[in-house]
Amino acid sequence: MTVKYNVVSYLIGEGFRNVLKNKKSTISAITVMFLCMIIFGVFFILGENINHIMNTVEEAQGVQVYFKVGTKEERMKEVGEQIKNIDGVNNVQFVSKEEGMNELKESYKDNASALEGMSSDFLPDSYRVTLSKLELNEQIQEQITAIVGEDLDEIKSSNETISTIMKIGNGIRIFTFVLLIILILFAVVIISNTIKLTVHARRKEISIMKYVGATNSFIRGPFIVEGILIGLISALIAILIVGFIYNGMIPNLEQSEIVKKLEITFVTFTDMFRLLIAVYLVLGIGIGVIGSSISMRKYLEV
Amino acid sequence: MKEEEPTSGNIIINGKDTTFLKKNRVPYLRRSMGIVFQDFRLLPDKTVYENVAFAMYIVKASPRHIRRQVPMVLSLVGLSGKAKMYPNELSGGEQQRVALARALVNNPSMLIADEPTGNLDPDTAWDIMMLLNEINMRGTTVIVATHAKDIVDRMKKRVIQINKGNIVRDDKKGGYDSEV
Repeated sequence: MTVKYNVVSYLIGEGFRNVLKNKKSTISAITVMFLCMIIFGVFFILGENINHIMNTVEEAQGVQVYFKVGTKEERMKEVGEQIKNIDGVNNVQFVSKEEGMNELKESYKDNASALEGMSSDFLPDSYRVTLSKLELNEQIQEQITAIVGEDLDEIKSSNETISTIMKIGNGIRIFTFVLLIILILFAVVIISNTIKLTVHARRKEISIMKYVGATNSFIRGPFIVEGILIGLISALIAILIVGFIYNGMIPNLEQSEIVKKLEITFVTFTDMFRLLIAVYLVLGIGIGVIGSSISMRKYLEV
Repeated sequence: MKEEEPTSGNIIINGKDTTFLKKNRVPYLRRSMGIVFQDFRLLPDKTVYENVAFAMYIVKASPRHIRRQVPMVLSLVGLSGKAKMYPNELSGGEQQRVALARALVNNPSMLIADEPTGNLDPDTAWDIMMLLNEINMRGTTVIVATHAKDIVDRMKKRVIQINKGNIVRDDKKGGYDSEV
């Protein structure tokens, strides 16, 4: 145990020493890194929230199944049960012709008088089917058509809305992903450059270590610790800043008129914070390790 | 050392052919021998003690073992009083002693010295050679590469002469030039 502890403390000690020795380059690396992370964080938060909103919108999207006038009640109940069992269906709600009439009046509001005195008999009974798997939209419609058979009057669905929603969602996912890759590459280059300075300053020491019989991993150790430290510090700063801003912004946004009208909800601060911490720590440590390994390659060939 | 490959033939160390040694085994080969260079190659920002202890860190020796072993080797090379000094505070001869201590601290079976006296004045050079001799007496194989004629002539040890990459002579107790 003491042996292991000895080596580990040596590696970490040397790593810290490197960070403190090159204050200037370390500070500039940390600055650029956490700025990158904040940019990424902003888009990550945007993406997560849009995803979140999309999920709520998706749930509201659905298919309206109209029955022919005069379809028997038992038949409609039976059909309703079957629709509920289709894979990808979230909820099935019966809308009677009276309810349909009320909704119609509601949507006309100011001109409701135009509908006054009209009987609801000309309206069909219907089911409002919401979907949990939007991508199955078309298949589900086909299945419903088969189930209802000749009692079907008409199926209405917001096909275009659904495909637009899916397109936007995918677009945002791809954009965040590409941005993530670019920022990671950027950060790796910055870290590896910073560490290259330390490595270069200590190249004589490294070659001596190699002559005395140090393994590559032993020599690499302190530099990887240095990279991880830079990554971690940047991640912590980024978490604090982004978390602070998000925490301040969300309640204000939720109070705003538009948000209230659209009935949008946001990812809560705690959920988002947990996600961010995980993502940033993985990013910081990963970039640190990769960046420092890259910068070491050249100097280990002795 | 595996720093250079032989143009022909094999390099056999301690009965092991190192010609086709895997890269990741090279450090372990280097640990089995102590090496001293003409230019000392000490770590400038570490003290004498740390420079020697460093070679033990690398082989993952226990702290207790390090605390016991380092002062012992330092006293062997006659530097007990200078453990806390930095290499640039020492004379050339003293620096070479530190390098020797570092090479010896892990008890290698073989010590290779590449022109160990090249940067030293004759008196100091002779002191170092006497030290090497003492180390040899303690049971370590010592190989010295040198072109210091007076030293070779004075030591009267086994001499292997190399000319243009070929061994031309191997005498049990020889001088610098073959007198035949």
